[in-house]
Amino acid sequence: MVWQPVLATAFALALCGSAAAAELHEAPSLAALVTKGSLPPVARRVPTAPDVVKPTASVGRYGGVLRTAFRGDADQNAILRIVGNQGLTRWTPDYENVVPNVAESWTRSDDASEYTFKLRPGMKWSDGQPFTADDITFFVNDLLPDPQFFSSPPAQYVINGKAMRAEKIDDTTVKLIFAGPYLGFPRVLATPLGQHPVLYEKHYCEQFMPKYNPNIAALLKQSGQPDWPTLFRQKCGDIEIPSRWSNLDRPTLDPWIISTPYSGNATQVVLQRNPYFWETDTAGNQLPYIDTVNMKVISDVQSIVLAAIGGQLDLQVRHINTIGNKPVLAQHADQGGYVLETLTPTDANAEALFLNQTDKNPKLRQLLTNHDFREALSLGVDRDEINDIVFLGQTKPWQVGPLPADRFYNKELATQYTTRNVDAANKLLDGLGLTKHDGDGFREYQDGSKVFLTADVMVLDPASIDTIQLIKKHWADIGIDVGINTEERSLFYNRGQNNDYDIDVMPVPGGLDPTSDPRGWLSTHTLDSRQSLPWVAWYQSGGHSGERPSDNMVQRLALWDQWKQATTPDQADGLFRQILQLAAASFDVIGTEQGLTTFGIHSKKLMNVPNSMPSSWNYANPGPTLLQQYYFAP
Amino acid sequence: MGRFIARRLAGMVPFIFLVSITVFVLIKLPPGDFVSNYAASLAASGETVDDSMLAEMRHRYGLDQSWPVQYWHWISGVAQGDFGYSFKWQQPVSSLIGERMGLTLVLSFATLLFTWAIAFPIGVYSAVRRYTWGDYFVTLLGFLGLAIPGFLLALALMYAGITWFHQDVGGLFSPPYVDTPWTLARVGDLAAHLWVPMIILGTSGAASLIRIMRANLIDQLHQPYVETARAKGLSETTLLLRYPIRVALNPFVSTLGWVLPHLVSGSVIISIVLNLPTAGPLLLQALLSQDQYLAGAFLLLLCSLTVLGTLVSDILLALLDPRIRFQ
Amino acid sequence: MSDITAGATLPQTSRYATASEARLMWLRFRRHRLAFAALIVTILIYLVALLVEPLAPFNPDKSNGRYVYHPPQRLHLIDHTANGIRIHPYVFGEHLARDPVTLAAHYVPDPSQHVALGFFVRGDPYRLWNLFPGNIHFFGPVNPRDTVFLLGADRLGRDMLSRIIAGARVSLSIGLVGVGCSLILGIFFGGLSGYLGGRVDWFIQRVIEFILSLPTIPVWLALAAALPKDWSPVATYFTITLIISLVGWTELARVVRGRFLALRSETFVTAAWLDGCGQGRIIFRHMLPSLASHIIASVTLAIPMMILAETSLSFLGLGLQPPAISWGALLSEAQNVTSIATAPWLLLPGVAVAITVLALNFLGDGLRDAADPHAH
Repeated sequence: MVWQPVLATAFALALCGSAAAAELHEAPSLAALVTKGSLPPVARRVPTAPDVVKPTASVGRYGGVLRTAFRGDADQNAILRIVGNQGLTRWTPDYENVVPNVAESWTRSDDASEYTFKLRPGMKWSDGQPFTADDITFFVNDLLPDPQFFSSPPAQYVINGKAMRAEKIDDTTVKLIFAGPYLGFPRVLATPLGQHPVLYEKHYCEQFMPKYNPNIAALLKQSGQPDWPTLFRQKCGDIEIPSRWSNLDRPTLDPWIISTPYSGNATQVVLQRNPYFWETDTAGNQLPYIDTVNMKVISDVQSIVLAAIGGQLDLQVRHINTIGNKPVLAQHADQGGYVLETLTPTDANAEALFLNQTDKNPKLRQLLTNHDFREALSLGVDRDEINDIVFLGQTKPWQVGPLPADRFYNKELATQYTTRNVDAANKLLDGLGLTKHDGDGFREYQDGSKVFLTADVMVLDPASIDTIQLIKKHWADIGIDVGINTEERSLFYNRGQNNDYDIDVMPVPGGLDPTSDPRGWLSTHTLDSRQSLPWVAWYQSGGHSGERPSDNMVQRLALWDQWKQATTPDQADGLFRQILQLAAASFDVIGTEQGLTTFGIHSKKLMNVPNSMPSSWNYANPGPTLLQQYYFAP
Repeated sequence: MGRFIARRLAGMVPFIFLVSITVFVLIKLPPGDFVSNYAASLAASGETVDDSMLAEMRHRYGLDQSWPVQYWHWISGVAQGDFGYSFKWQQPVSSLIGERMGLTLVLSFATLLFTWAIAFPIGVYSAVRRYTWGDYFVTLLGFLGLAIPGFLLALALMYAGITWFHQDVGGLFSPPYVDTPWTLARVGDLAAHLWVPMIILGTSGAASLIRIMRANLIDQLHQPYVETARAKGLSETTLLLRYPIRVALNPFVSTLGWVLPHLVSGSVIISIVLNLPTAGPLLLQALLSQDQYLAGAFLLLLCSLTVLGTLVSDILLALLDPRIRFQ
Repeated sequence: MSDITAGATLPQTSRYATASEARLMWLRFRRHRLAFAALIVTILIYLVALLVEPLAPFNPDKSNGRYVYHPPQRLHLIDHTANGIRIHPYVFGEHLARDPVTLAAHYVPDPSQHVALGFFVRGDPYRLWNLFPGNIHFFGPVNPRDTVFLLGADRLGRDMLSRIIAGARVSLSIGLVGVGCSLILGIFFGGLSGYLGGRVDWFIQRVIEFILSLPTIPVWLALAAALPKDWSPVATYFTITLIISLVGWTELARVVRGRFLALRSETFVTAAWLDGCGQGRIIFRHMLPSLASHIIASVTLAIPMMILAETSLSFLGLGLQPPAISWGALLSEAQNVTSIATAPWLLLPGVAVAITVLALNFLGDGLRDAADPHAH
């Protein structure tokens, strides 16, 4: 973890800020309100030392409507990605470090268990109320430990089984305290799930909590909600729920605030500039440049592609970015008046085969838990053909491992068993006693029944369907028959939860910043560590439920527990490298291709969009590229 | 007749009650519940969700209770006019359904008119001028229309609209009118946008009805009573309109009852592609995510409308053809 | 109407006077040229469905990265060789050139390279009906290592012509079984309801209303979860088709019922009844023929709907699973902007559906005319 430079940057930014504070400028629409007297002057709306953002290319101009599209259903996080998750810290645009965001700076105690955050004096919520340490303690001390609000506190705030605590030092200084070392905390704060501490304005939200509002019963009755946590979440939202974007009165720290809410009926969601936004550019212009964000609800991906071709979108980085769409979008770029930007991959694998090591079929389980069987299956895959056909030749054979650009890159983990070798694979399978063949040349167990696996894929991921179709053909050469089940998303997850699958085909994240999502190497992800979900249950329950993982995985999980307790970055990295080395030896998940570079589109007139950005949930692109400094050229 | 209608209306209440149970069971039939689907939807887009929060939600929504309890909770509310709460949108179901159902009715009615306006004259023409080039052309066109999935047709027309006419993608309103209150201008805007989905939704229906009209009219044209009427000197037009067409309308009217459920459930995919703010897409989402009260309310409403539609169609059948009697 | 009047004034030759009813029908049918052509087309289509393996020039599952989205090739006949003009079918060899920026595939024809085509050539090995091994293909490149894409290739570089031929088998067998089921159920219950009336009618109508008001989407979702995972794709698809037909009979039943309600008070029905005909005979011999046209029309309408039903089911993960092929599955793979904008040949299975339905429709019309006692 690069730690000193972070502070240095923060210091430099703070200096910059105070220098620029002398001459502030604001959008013409806001200036008009100030003249009318319905809004305080800009100097009293932004912090005394606003966060000064260096524009990607140039200082912009005010105005314009940014049009983008998202899928209405279960896609509320698209709004989060556009406004950006305004946490205490944020990612640098290259996704390597974290820098102060809502916080002006922070310091870490020597044992990494206490963090002191300095806030920006004079900073305001979007309703003009001051943002202070009380807002943070409101979440950390009032909401987080409340068993009615969280039956158990979210894992990202829990160390050694204890939730974090907050200590207010003064109005602009607050200390967050953990029960043990937590080196990764500043990075967690930069992810969407780490936004909680600065999500709730105490002044507004306390009315929905019985502790502060003895008359809550009246409010509940009036709103028809069953209990206060429901009412609270409806009014003040939570990180990933739709109602976060449906209450027009909810104060935020975001660059734009909701003016047309997100609901089941919505055909569009409109956001207007936040007059109290706390960032300026280097010339002292209050951000954001763009007045309005118009997010059109288009549920069908193909229709979003059409809208892009028709020039109806100014920015679109999600949903359309499958490689198969690139030719058609590139060919229509002139017509639609857009250019393509690069989305750098962050996935460890484009489509990997998770073999269920706790398969319900005992004969299959014996095979799937065998290293030689997995190795043979991997050797049987023709990755060059998959690359050529499914990924248009744009990637390369890869197992599930961090990308070469990442500091955890492990050559063995990433490239072992990627070259097709049918003879070696057949030899391995023969060695397992699968020597009998049926009339079609498929292998049989010793008892004469056929070795048959089914692979589950999701309808909404066409690349996985094409990949497994090709693999079915490849595996026929080594005598292994596989059936393909394409499933609707909910059934796919349901079968996973019921441990009712042999092979699941899906992308694996963690190519960059692998420690933030190690599901491919560690049974830690409740829904998606598909090496075996009973293993995850075993780990999460401390061995009380689920099934004991393989010895190798148990060892990795023990190292993972040590990693969480590490007090220095070097110690932590060393532990994680050991985990990856063990994963390489065990070879649980069969990879196909490296996560590949995809693309987004933006209007030719939209300026300050970086030429490339990482694509990831923890980075929640495009948010961290700071859309508030995008602007429209005249 | 009056007694017949009264009896049918009275019979509707227990019938709809029975349907409500079935609908509820069907909604719950696919594996999983709202909360597990919610978690899946987040996980599938690469996002993570906290386990304890899921248990929390399940308890809050009463999903940890048994089916009969959940059903009773729902139906007793419906009986008092409270359709319950949508889990996903944290909104009362009635506020979500209102405008969508309204627009669906408008669109269904427009599509029905369009379908009949096209199918009726062409069907008659191709029956009377059977085995002429005109008939063949219409037949060919009709079957081509039937052999292209509606989804594909919608996509192709939208692609053509965008590349050649620089049209908007789908929707029922142009941007300035999307979220404004109802005014005359907004109604005009709706009318201007309505024809595209009307044509796409109506094409396959019209193609079918042309064939049905043609077939039924051909059956009638050879009946002895037509010959008799012709022999009596009736003009061809009067002759056609007075008897055979009235009889041939029978299938149009017989199936009138389920125009609405057809348009809602049969055209879900098309509505999604065309981005129509109608009931279909919201219903599909609600069913996929098992947002049970929202889905239940939609289905109950649709079912009631179907039952009413069948009643209307039975009454029309009798009016159209005096040989049909009610017992 | 000219045809009909012509039919009415046909000279009654002795051949017609002495012919049996079936023979009369056949003679009348033969006169109907379009219907006769439709019969031949239908037979040909079914032959294709029967002989998929030798007729398809390639293995329909054979993918190749060098031929992704290969456009249809032009067939040439006149070959200017060094030794003069030779007449034989051939296409130009083509090379893939991928645009490095847009990643779009372009195929550059190479006029110097001629891929000779022929009949009864050796090619991909197959097992006809999963029984008889062979490698002779009716049509294809003379050199088994060459390729030819007369109808283009799909996104995995598979030959569309071979896939359309292979899709005929499932679409024309299982798809039609479903149509048959709805037809039988619809006529039976509709007839019963309309003929008997009263309580039976009331009950059947309520059942129909009930079925119609049931939401199908959760049924499909539940079915997707309930179907055993290790069933073959075709067995799964067959089940789905049967369920579609269990819902699909209601529409026909209502129409049949509506017409029967009207017909049963007709004099010819009363006459038959007074003659002592059984109910079955009254329904099938006397009442049903007067709605033959409607039944034929609804069958020909049901066929494309049944074949295409899976294009909307594929969104739910139902429909035919790869690697099984049907026309509906091929069309659902084409439901995206890329296909429409850059590879329109992927929509050709729709043409196959249309041709089949047109042929069956004209065949049905011809049969109806031939059987119609009033037509002459």
